[in-house]
Amino acid sequence: MVKPVNLEVAVGTVRLANPVLAASGTFGFGPEYAGLANLARLGGIAAKGVSPHPWPGNPPPRVWETESGLLNSIGLQNPGVEAFCREYLPFLARAGTRVVVNVIGRTVDEYCRVVERLEAEAAVDAIELNISCPNIKEGGLSFGQDPVHAAEVTAAVRAVTQRPLWVKLSPNVTEPERIAEAVAAAGADALTAINTVLGMAIDLKRRRPALGGLSGGLSGPAIKPIALRVVYQVAQTVGIPVIGIGGIRTAEDVAEFMMAGASAVMVGTATFSDPSTMERIIEDLPGCLQRLGAKSPSDLIGAALPGRP
Amino acid sequence: MTQPAIVKAKIHSVRPVAVGHFEMLLESSQLAAADPGQFVHVRTPGTLRRPISFSRLDRVHGRAGILWQVVGAGTGWLSQQPTGGRLDVLGPLGRGFPAPEADRPWCLIGGGVGIPPLFAALQIWGDSVRAPITAVLGARRGDLLVMVDDFRNRIGDVQVTTDDGSQGGQGTVLGPLAHWRARHPNGQIYACGPTPMLAEVAQLCRGVERVYLALEQRMGCGVGACLACVVLAQGKQGPEWRRVCHDGPVFAAKELVW
Repeated sequence: MVKPVNLEVAVGTVRLANPVLAASGTFGFGPEYAGLANLARLGGIAAKGVSPHPWPGNPPPRVWETESGLLNSIGLQNPGVEAFCREYLPFLARAGTRVVVNVIGRTVDEYCRVVERLEAEAAVDAIELNISCPNIKEGGLSFGQDPVHAAEVTAAVRAVTQRPLWVKLSPNVTEPERIAEAVAAAGADALTAINTVLGMAIDLKRRRPALGGLSGGLSGPAIKPIALRVVYQVAQTVGIPVIGIGGIRTAEDVAEFMMAGASAVMVGTATFSDPSTMERIIEDLPGCLQRLGAKSPSDLIGAALPGRP
Repeated sequence: MTQPAIVKAKIHSVRPVAVGHFEMLLESSQLAAADPGQFVHVRTPGTLRRPISFSRLDRVHGRAGILWQVVGAGTGWLSQQPTGGRLDVLGPLGRGFPAPEADRPWCLIGGGVGIPPLFAALQIWGDSVRAPITAVLGARRGDLLVMVDDFRNRIGDVQVTTDDGSQGGQGTVLGPLAHWRARHPNGQIYACGPTPMLAEVAQLCRGVERVYLALEQRMGCGVGACLACVVLAQGKQGPEWRRVCHDGPVFAAKELVW
């Protein structure tokens, strides 16, 4: 018999009923899965990335299944922050869970404009900066590729909001710890690790890259080891909380990420196959914790890091 | 409209219907209540589900059919599922065909594995259409044609084309469609098939008021969340992407931008 367990965790000042959040880009703006998942059961929902103005996104095909993974090249299609606040945020505000708004931009100013607009909205519990967007000023190299630019956008956003500020790290760098250090010093309250891994598929019949956007971001179980390694490295480097993401499907996966140093996790691609994945994980967590000899999820955080008993 | 749900449907039967094509009947009154043109997102061992349109909707016995071509590991797995087992499907999803107008001649244009949703439409609405009904069914070869007998059991005018002439007339469905359109300027046309075929149908039937196309596109979530399966449509401020899974898969031809 599994005893009832308090699954609460904290990511800085943000308290979550449990450590499982829906990952940005895989859960729409909230209503899409409302009939299929009990949103109030989730630790939180990270909404799809929003920009100052609508972004059209990339030509299809936008997804391609790979071995144990999924390549996507959606191109961050979104209706813009104004339409998001008007049409979707009221729904999220009533969903009974924490609301994280993922913010995208092509310039530092664009990120700031989105965050400034969100200041008027009480429903936002945290901001998640997607720094994997191409930086127009730097010829399209993403903000997250370089510690200086990653810190620049983080500091600029920090200056316009007191809200909890999470920065989502790209794995497509040699040393994610350097980016992590830079954004932590620039005022980030937590880090999300990782965003998708750059990849490509070829459509044999058409003799062309399979995705309309040519290359894309790989997600799903294929990238779990990559994500675990980044979380493990980053958690040792910075003093702020880390949210683990990458290929999570089970309560055991959650425990692995927490042992590697994550305070909470996000689930994305697994929802496509089974919309009840997150609820199932939350249901399975108490039994998993018991089997691992942990009294609460917090007991696991960083258990695998060097120097721990 | 039936709300989409995860249904663990009992498999009534699975049978091969053409080379590399299978049809499965699922026992579920919930699915059988779907609109023709809607689809289910079938869970397979892979990362993504597989979207498959309803091939028949038997509301009396509470059975819904799905018909697919084996193209990869997911559809291969599906064709080996045993009768009596359970299949995890998410559905019914999307916007199906509108009901046809009773007094307009009706033409159903199906290409390859696009034929099945048109049979579901004929099954549900055939008796309510008083004007003549025509089906034009095409495939690359005769041994890839599906559901021709099902159509022939319901209507007299079923025309078949194959690219190589191995069954019916040699050529594509567009030839018979052009004849039909000339004879029935006020007709209504429902089509499903490969995207290039649908583009030609839209072109050929420009100016016809009621032309409805069921589209296919690489799909992610199936419920409108991931914005993967988009198609270019006419928006208020110019062309915009719409979701095949949620805004479609059936679109009026005049909504789309080719």
